[in-house]
Amino acid sequence: MAAPLSLIKGTLDVLVLKALSWGPKHGFEVTTWLEERSTGDLTVDDGALYQALHRMEERDLIRAEWGVTANNRRARYYSMTPAGRAHLRSESAALVRYAETVVAILASRTA
Amino acid sequence: MPDGVRRFFRLRLRRRDLIHEAMDEELQFHLDERTAQLAAQGLSPTDAQAEAIRRLGGSVADVRNQLRRSAERKERTMAWHEHFEDLVADLRYAARGLIRRPAFTTVAVLTLAAGIGGNTAIFSAVDALLFRPLPFAAPDRLMDVYLVPSSADGTPGVTQWSWPKYQVLLRDQTVFSDIALHFDANFNLGQTNAERINGEFVSSRYLTVLGVAPIQGADFSATLDNGPNAPRTLLMGNALWQRRFGADPGLVGRTIELNGQQWVVQGILPPGFRGLSGTAEVLVPATTVDEETYREAWSLMYSAIGRLRPGVTPEEAEAQMRILGPRIYEAYPFTANMLSTTEGKGWTAGATSLDARRVAPEVRRSLLVLFGAVGFVLLIACVNLANFLLGRAATRRREIAIRLAIGSSRGRLVRLLLTESLLLASLGGAASLLVAAWSIAVLRAMNPLATLQSQGLGGLGVIGFTSLHLDIHALLFTFGVTLFVGLLFGLVPALQATRADLVPGLKDGAVPARLGGMRLGVGRGALVMAEVALAVVLLAGSGLMLRSLMKRIGVDPGFDDRSVLTLRLATGEALGRDSIPGFVTELQSRLAALPGVTSVGLADCPPLNGGCNGTIISFPDREATAVKGLSTPIGVHTVTPEWFATLHIPLLRGRLLTPADRIGTSKVILISESAAQKYWPNEDPLGKRAGIWQGGFQEGATVVGIVGDVRYGTIDSLPVPDSYMSFYQAPRGRMMIFLRTAGDPLAVAAAARRELAAFAPSYPVYDVQTMTSRVAGATAQARFSATLLGLFAAVALALAVMGIYGVMSFAVLQRQRELGIRMALGADGRDVRRLILVEGMGMALVGGVIGLGAAFALTRVLNSLLFEVAPSDPLTYAAIVLVLGLAAFLATWLPARRASLVDPVEALRRDG
Repeated sequence: MAAPLSLIKGTLDVLVLKALSWGPKHGFEVTTWLEERSTGDLTVDDGALYQALHRMEERDLIRAEWGVTANNRRARYYSMTPAGRAHLRSESAALVRYAETVVAILASRTA
Repeated sequence: MPDGVRRFFRLRLRRRDLIHEAMDEELQFHLDERTAQLAAQGLSPTDAQAEAIRRLGGSVADVRNQLRRSAERKERTMAWHEHFEDLVADLRYAARGLIRRPAFTTVAVLTLAAGIGGNTAIFSAVDALLFRPLPFAAPDRLMDVYLVPSSADGTPGVTQWSWPKYQVLLRDQTVFSDIALHFDANFNLGQTNAERINGEFVSSRYLTVLGVAPIQGADFSATLDNGPNAPRTLLMGNALWQRRFGADPGLVGRTIELNGQQWVVQGILPPGFRGLSGTAEVLVPATTVDEETYREAWSLMYSAIGRLRPGVTPEEAEAQMRILGPRIYEAYPFTANMLSTTEGKGWTAGATSLDARRVAPEVRRSLLVLFGAVGFVLLIACVNLANFLLGRAATRRREIAIRLAIGSSRGRLVRLLLTESLLLASLGGAASLLVAAWSIAVLRAMNPLATLQSQGLGGLGVIGFTSLHLDIHALLFTFGVTLFVGLLFGLVPALQATRADLVPGLKDGAVPARLGGMRLGVGRGALVMAEVALAVVLLAGSGLMLRSLMKRIGVDPGFDDRSVLTLRLATGEALGRDSIPGFVTELQSRLAALPGVTSVGLADCPPLNGGCNGTIISFPDREATAVKGLSTPIGVHTVTPEWFATLHIPLLRGRLLTPADRIGTSKVILISESAAQKYWPNEDPLGKRAGIWQGGFQEGATVVGIVGDVRYGTIDSLPVPDSYMSFYQAPRGRMMIFLRTAGDPLAVAAAARRELAAFAPSYPVYDVQTMTSRVAGATAQARFSATLLGLFAAVALALAVMGIYGVMSFAVLQRQRELGIRMALGADGRDVRRLILVEGMGMALVGGVIGLGAAFALTRVLNSLLFEVAPSDPLTYAAIVLVLGLAAFLATWLPARRASLVDPVEALRRDG
C-alpha cells in the first residue's frame, strides 16, 4: 500500500461538507465517513478535523447543535447551512475540473 | 464595584468556561468513540487508547488547548456577527419608530439642527475673529506700539507716529528685536483701464517683523529707511500678481504704473498675505515721500508694530514705552505757537499685544454675547430633546412591559431604546451640518470690510474674517454634547422603564402612580421651567438689543440720506493742487447736467465714515492759556459750497461758502454747531478768527457761518466739533461725489460713471453706494447682533412653547381616567380646562420668574453694547412678560381644550 495522501489545502472543507450533505453528523461520524470512503488513503489528524469544523462554523458553512447519540450520549451534531451547500457545489466542481486537468496532462503521450 | 460591571465580567468568565467545557466534552466523546471502534477491531484496551491518542495528531493536552483556542475564536466571531445583526435589527426598529411619528421626529431633528448648527457657526466666527492665532510668525510676540497724547479730561487716547518721532523710538528702545511702520493707502494702478487698489506704506523691516518673506525677488533693503525720496520700488501681493499679471514669473524687475508714476516690482508676496490692513495688494516704502513730509514731526500717520526681543515680556515692553514716551515728546515738542507748551508734558507712549487689538472691544463683546446666547439655545435644545425622550419612554411603558414579559432581556431592551436616541441624535447631527454650512456661507457673504470698517476697525478683523470657515472641531464638540444628552436621556427612562413591575404595566394602559409616573412628571415639569427661564433670558437680551437698534436707526445723523448717490473718485497725486479748483468746477457742472440729478456736491470724507481727518484748533486772537492744548480737537472737512444743499445740511447762522472764496482771497471756514458751543461758549463765533492746523490755515481763518452737526464717526457717537473749508481755497486730492437725484439714485449711477470716464479717464471711480446704504452700513454691526439674538430668542421661545405643549398634552393623555372621574362626579368642561390651564401657566410662571431674575443679572454684560437703553429697560421686560404669557397660554390652551372634551364614559371604560 502506498503512503497515505496528504490533503491539498481547502479540500478538507469540501469533503466534510460532502459528509454532511447526507445529514447531520457528529465529529467522530464525520471522521469515520471520510476514512471509509477513502479506504484509508487519506489521513487527517482528528485534532485538525475539529479545527476545520470550528473554522467552517465561524464562516457559517455549518451549524452545530447538541444532540443525543443512539447510545444515549451527548454529542455535538454538525449540519450544513445553505451557505455550506452553495460552497460544496462550487468548490467540488472546481476540484473536479482541477483533477481532470492534472490527469489529462499527466496522461498525455505526445511531446 | 458597581453591580453592572461585575455582572459584565462574570458573564465573560462564565462564557469562556462554558466554551472550554463544551470543547472538552466533545473531545472526550471523540476519544471514547475512537477507542471503542479500535477495540472492536481487536486491539487491546491500552493499545486502542494509545492509537486513539496517536490519531489526534499530538498529545491530548496540546490538542485540547489548540481546540479550546479555536473554539474561543469561533465563538468570538460569531458573537460579533450576532451583535451586528442585532444592531441592524435595532436600527431598523428605531427607524420604523421614528418614521411612524413624523411630527415628533421632525421637531426633534430641527431642534438639534438649530442648536448644533447655530453653535458651530457662531463658534467658527468667534474663533476666526478672536481666538485663532493671527497668520504671522509667533503672533503672540507682536505688539502694537503707539503714542498716547495728553488729555485734559483724562480720557485715554491713542495716536500714530510721525517718521521723526519713530526715529527716536528706534534709537532708544531695547525691548523689541525689530520695529516697523505701516500706513494704509490707496493707489491707482495702470494708465488705461486704471484700477483702484489698496496698499500700505511700510518701513523696510515690515516683513521681517511679521516673519514673512517674498516668494520671488527680494525684500526691501534697510537703506531705504535712510532718507526721503527713496527709489520707487514695490512688493506685489500674490492675488494682484495672479489677477493682473497672470502670475508672470518675469514680472520682478519690471516697471508698473502706480498713481501715474513708474514703480519697479522688486518682489512678490506669498499667497494669502495682505499686510496688517488685511487688504493690501502692494507694499511701498514709506520713505518714497518728499523731504518736507519726511521731516514733519507732527504728521502723526504711521502705526508701529514691534516684535518682542526674546525673553522680554509684554509688560516690560509696555513699561519701557511709558518711560520713553515723554522723551519722544521732548525730542519734537510743540512749537511756541502751538498753544500752551505745558500741555505737551502729558504725552507718552504705550504698547499692547496685537492680539488684544484685533477687534474693537464692542465687537469682541457682542461676539461673546452671541456665543453665550447660542449656547443657551443649545442648552434649551438639549432640554427639549430630553423632554421628548422622557415623554416617549413614558408612553412606551406598555410596549416595554410586553417585551419583557415575552422574554426580551433587559440589556437588549435598553439597547433598543438607546439606539433610537442615538439615531435621532445622528439625524440631528447631519441636519446641523447643513445649518452650520449655510450659516457660515451667509456670514462669509457679508462684506467684512463694510461691516468692520464702518465701525472704524483696523485690518486685523478683516484678516480674521477672511479666515472664517466651518470649524469641524466645533461641530464635533457640539455634536458630542448632543450625543451625550441623547444617551443620558435615552438611558435614564430606558432603565427606569425596564425596571418597572411587569404586571401593572400590562394591566393598565395609563401609568399608575406606583410606576414612578409622578416622579417622571415632576422631572419633566422642572425641565420645562428651565427651558422657559432660559428663553426669558434670551428674550430679554434680544429685546434690549432690538430696542437699542431701533434707537440707533432713529438717530438723526445730521443730513438727509434719501435719494443721494455717492461715488469716490481716485484723483491721486496726479492732479496738481493748482488745477483742482478748475477740475472741481468742471466736474460739478458736467454731473449736474445729467438727467435726474438735481444737485451735486463734493467732500473729502463722507458722513458715518468711522471718523474723518482732524487736527487742532487755535485762537490767534486769544491768550494761549484760554483754552487747554490738546483738548481742542477739530474735524477738518474740505467741501464744495453746493455740498450742504445737496445733503440738506442746514445753515444755522451766517453764510455758506461761495465759489468766490478761493485761493488768494481771505481764508474763511464754516464751523459746526458743536464747535460753536465748545469753543465759543459765551460769544458769537461769526467773524472770529480760528487757526486750523491743516491746509495752510494755521495762521487763522475767519468763521463766516455755522452749520448743523453731522455724525462723521459712528451712528452712536455724538457729533464732535467740525470745521469746513472750500475745495477752491484749500484744494485737496481726496474727492467723494454726492449726487442728489429726483428718483432712484442708483438709476443715475451708470450715467455718472460714463460721464466721469469721459471727463477723467485716468481716475478710477469706486465705492459707488447710495447714502442710504452707507447709513445702513453704519448700523450693520448692531443690526447683525440684534438680528441674530432675535433669531436665537425666537428659536428658544418656540422650543419652550413646544416643551410646555408636549408636557401638558402628555399630562392630559395620562390623566384621562382622573379627568373622566371628575367629569362623572359633576365637573364640567370649564372646570377641567381651568385645572389644566392653571397647571400649565403655573410652570410658565415659575420658569418666567426665575428667567426674569437671571435676565436682570445677565443683561448687565450688554451694557456697553446698548445705545440709550438701560439693561433694566421696563418696556422690554413688560414686552417679554406679555409675549411669554401669550405663548404659554396658547401652548396650554390646546391640551386644556382637549381635556375638556374627554368623554367620561369612554375614559373610564378604556381603563377597565
